[in-house]
Amino acid sequence: MKVSTALCSAALGVGLGTLLLPGAALADTTVSPATTPVGGTVVLTATTCNPKSGDAIFRVTGPNRDQNVRSTTAAAGGGLSAELFTAGFTLGTYTVAATCGDGSSAGTATFAVTPIGGAPAGSGGDNRDTGALAAGGTLLGTALAGAVILIRRRRPVSTVA
Amino acid sequence: MWSRRTLPAVVALLGVAGLGLITVGLTADPAQPPSPSADAPRRTHPAPDLAPLPPAAPVRVQIPAIGVRADIVPVGADAAGVLEVPPLDRPTLAGWYRHGVSPGETGNAVLVGHVDSPSGPAVFFDLGRLHAGQQVQVTRADTRVATFTVDDVRAYPKEHFPTTLVYGPTDAAGLRLITCGGRFDDATGNYVDNIVVFATRTA
Repeated sequence: MKVSTALCSAALGVGLGTLLLPGAALADTTVSPATTPVGGTVVLTATTCNPKSGDAIFRVTGPNRDQNVRSTTAAAGGGLSAELFTAGFTLGTYTVAATCGDGSSAGTATFAVTPIGGAPAGSGGDNRDTGALAAGGTLLGTALAGAVILIRRRRPVSTVA
Repeated sequence: MWSRRTLPAVVALLGVAGLGLITVGLTADPAQPPSPSADAPRRTHPAPDLAPLPPAAPVRVQIPAIGVRADIVPVGADAAGVLEVPPLDRPTLAGWYRHGVSPGETGNAVLVGHVDSPSGPAVFFDLGRLHAGQQVQVTRADTRVATFTVDDVRAYPKEHFPTTLVYGPTDAAGLRLITCGGRFDDATGNYVDNIVVFATRTA
């Protein structure tokens, strides 16, 4: 009973914190950039973890993944960071939950793994002008007919000469 | 008077003109899709306070201003990580990026469509003609219709595609429409730009 009360009050505390200070609550864990083309690298940072209490662990969960990443460096602005390389990641949104070396939770953040670059959404169109083709065909046909008439007319002349 | 000299000349002229027109016809430049400017997009309409819709795949997109009424199929990305587009032999379909949110959910939903195909203009040919204030309606599998209002229309070189603006997180229910534009590069068989329409749900 005591345990469940403690859980409830902890949840309520987080909820109140979120309501009162949404910016501060989100800043505990950051992912930069929050959007990366697949194959890009993102930096995970737990801003409130004290490097003296040990490495932070980032649990990364998403479409096809549940992996832990250990912090490797102290972040410039305070806290601990790790780099995450997204090659082979399924596209979609991932959640990062950080735990400090002392076991305390350092909050969560999300990031998106997206397609690379733009979209190949065109073929260059239809490279034929059907109007010009039809007109050209008609002219050429008339010319051929005229040539045939000319050749027929000239034959008797040439035999006389 | 058709003398013996003028008739061969006329025949020759007709032949040359005919051949010329056929050459022009075979090598004509295709119709050029409209292309907007490349500055940063701006939100022209404040997002109204709408409750986000639950996830549901989109099935049809309508853009009355440019006469678009197209069915939607889900698309992902190929092995190289490039966004898929509906097959070129079905150029009237639009694609929905299924790894993102659905239209009406909080976040940016992404729809992609061809600008043209070997048989002529395709579903999003006139996308670059859209401007702020015009509406896009998306019908979802749950029969709800999400209405979006265009904030801005921009062109970006493909190597500077605004990944974060298109796929990135946002507090509102956004819609991004993507097609090709700019110059067609014969060497690569691709257009050099992408046209992106930025829209926000307003009903």
